[in-house]
Amino acid sequence: MGGSEARGWLPRRFYSVDAGLIGLASGVRRPLTGVWRLTPGVYRQASDMDVLQVVISGLLLGGVYALFAAGLNTIFGVMRVINLGHGELMMLGAYTTYYLYAEGGLNPLLTIPIAAAAMFGAGLVMQRFLVERVIGQPLLSSLLLTFGLSTLLQGLALNRFTADFRSVPYLSGSIDLFGLALSRSRLVAFGIALAVTGVTYYFLRSSRFGKAIRATSQQADVAQVCGIDVRRVRLATFALGAALAAIAGSLVAMIFSISPEMGRMFLGKAFAIIVLGGLGSFVGAFLGALMLGVAETLAAYFTTTQLAEGVPYAVLVLVLTLRPSGFFGVRE
Amino acid sequence: MAVEVAPAPGMRHTGDMPPILQVQSIDAAYGKVQILHGVSLDVYPGEVVSIIGPNGAGKSTVLKAIMGFLTPSAGEIIFDGGTITGLRTDLVVRRGIAYVPQGRIVFKDMSVVENLEMGAYAVSDKAQVRRTMEQVFQIFPRLGERPKQAAGTMSGGEQQMLAMGRALMVEPRVVLMDEPSLGLAPRFVELVFEKIGELKAGGMTLLLVEQNAVKSLSISDRGYVLELGRNRFTGPGDALLADERVRRLYLGG
Ligand SMILES: Nc1ncnc2c1ncn2[C@@H]1O[C@H](COP(=O)(O)OP(=O)(O)OP(=O)(O)O)[C@@H](O)[C@H]1O
Ligand SMILES: [Mg+2]
Repeated sequence: MGGSEARGWLPRRFYSVDAGLIGLASGVRRPLTGVWRLTPGVYRQASDMDVLQVVISGLLLGGVYALFAAGLNTIFGVMRVINLGHGELMMLGAYTTYYLYAEGGLNPLLTIPIAAAAMFGAGLVMQRFLVERVIGQPLLSSLLLTFGLSTLLQGLALNRFTADFRSVPYLSGSIDLFGLALSRSRLVAFGIALAVTGVTYYFLRSSRFGKAIRATSQQADVAQVCGIDVRRVRLATFALGAALAAIAGSLVAMIFSISPEMGRMFLGKAFAIIVLGGLGSFVGAFLGALMLGVAETLAAYFTTTQLAEGVPYAVLVLVLTLRPSGFFGVRE
Repeated sequence: MAVEVAPAPGMRHTGDMPPILQVQSIDAAYGKVQILHGVSLDVYPGEVVSIIGPNGAGKSTVLKAIMGFLTPSAGEIIFDGGTITGLRTDLVVRRGIAYVPQGRIVFKDMSVVENLEMGAYAVSDKAQVRRTMEQVFQIFPRLGERPKQAAGTMSGGEQQMLAMGRALMVEPRVVLMDEPSLGLAPRFVELVFEKIGELKAGGMTLLLVEQNAVKSLSISDRGYVLELGRNRFTGPGDALLADERVRRLYLGG
């Protein structure tokens, strides 16, 4: 046991001496070529300090997951559509950051609003011309449509960006906080994710349009008789969700290496998060995301990253059988 | 055509004013199943009009057609002189028709005040929203006592008050109510009809669908009896109440 193996861009070790290498090293990893050893043959004994570090690392990662899941959850609430293309919106956000950084020379942090705006626009177009057509139809219609979108975007990305793994080695290294070595990129990503999630939450709770979004997700027909144009609400919600996914993608690009296939995996994580938190609950999903982040990193630490990959699906199965309403089914 | 059970329906309280809302022989269907067959009705300003009839007669469907939830395949709906046939729901509301849906539906996760604010979504003047909310609190003091309470935690009767109050927030010219007393405890049924009486006294125009035909006809200026999606009888509320055929068929003796 030692977690010294890692595949692809999956969450790996962020503890001790390896922490600083993660960002830099990710560039040399190859996609789908199997096992990759960072420190061959090193087996470590877990100390309390190590575990604490892993937990915090997981929380930091969970913040980014939360941002991704928030959009998916809000879209589902408003239009009862499970957007299977949500992961690809994230992937496109990640590539926007990558290209603006690698070829445009832009500071990765500055690429975030650009990626968000681009995906907001793409979200508007997708909703207006595609998703809107399946609103109110059986769930299967929207599943097929968004699955098609997902596949199409992934295919286009493979074609345009190639299957090569990319990374944005920005903010590499770690900083020492109370004796814990915390990855700088994770700290920054967490801070941004938390801020964006918080602003979104505040917007949904307090602004007039935010309340209209919540009203529509609670009772769309009554929202209409309040004079709310629910088509506009759906349009804005999808675009907002896409922008949140893009921001999460930009942040992920700074932590892991990215590939056109990254979306599917994050979608699986988001399902686990939403099921954990209770469908439609913003706060629940946030807590669920932190939990999943911690569970994954602990699993990666104590077993292998390959096993950690299965954590979201294990969570899905466990929660759905034991407690289908989720663990934090707090109604808001 | 509807049988008139008494002469000179309508117009009683209204002088020469034209109807504010007219449903003109509409047909309407859910999918392929036609529900309404040439239903017509008029509502004059200041009137309370009831639609009664057995379950499944199409009463709710008439209201939904007016609100634009479904588009009539034939006929016209005229509001204030202009057609609103097939107009999108939120635009119908902005024209001045409010709707209290069946089943006292409120935004459960929102407070009383937020529910009322949502009701005023079409109103951009904040001062006006505040004034209207004060008026709603005067009509429904119960709501004013608990502005912060989450609507989902209120009793059924209180939720119905909230749903009615929310509808008033757009300062509508006509309010449609679908079974406002359905499933409420007796004291709340009384209260609902009392409030409808108050609104009428305040000059509000109301189109009411009710199971409780006796109660609703007795506070109504006029009523329409629907059966199987067709007009059956119409006339002043008291005349319908007194009519043998109507009593036998729909009022249980
Ligand atoms: N969404 C719908 N889809 C299909 N059929 C519907 C729908 N809503 C109502 N119907 C049918 O239309 C007919 C009229 O329904 P409607 O709700 O207008 O009756 P109602 O007079 O309001 O009855 P109730 O007194 O039970 O409320 C019924 O046969 C009902 O089954
Ligand atoms: Mg009905």
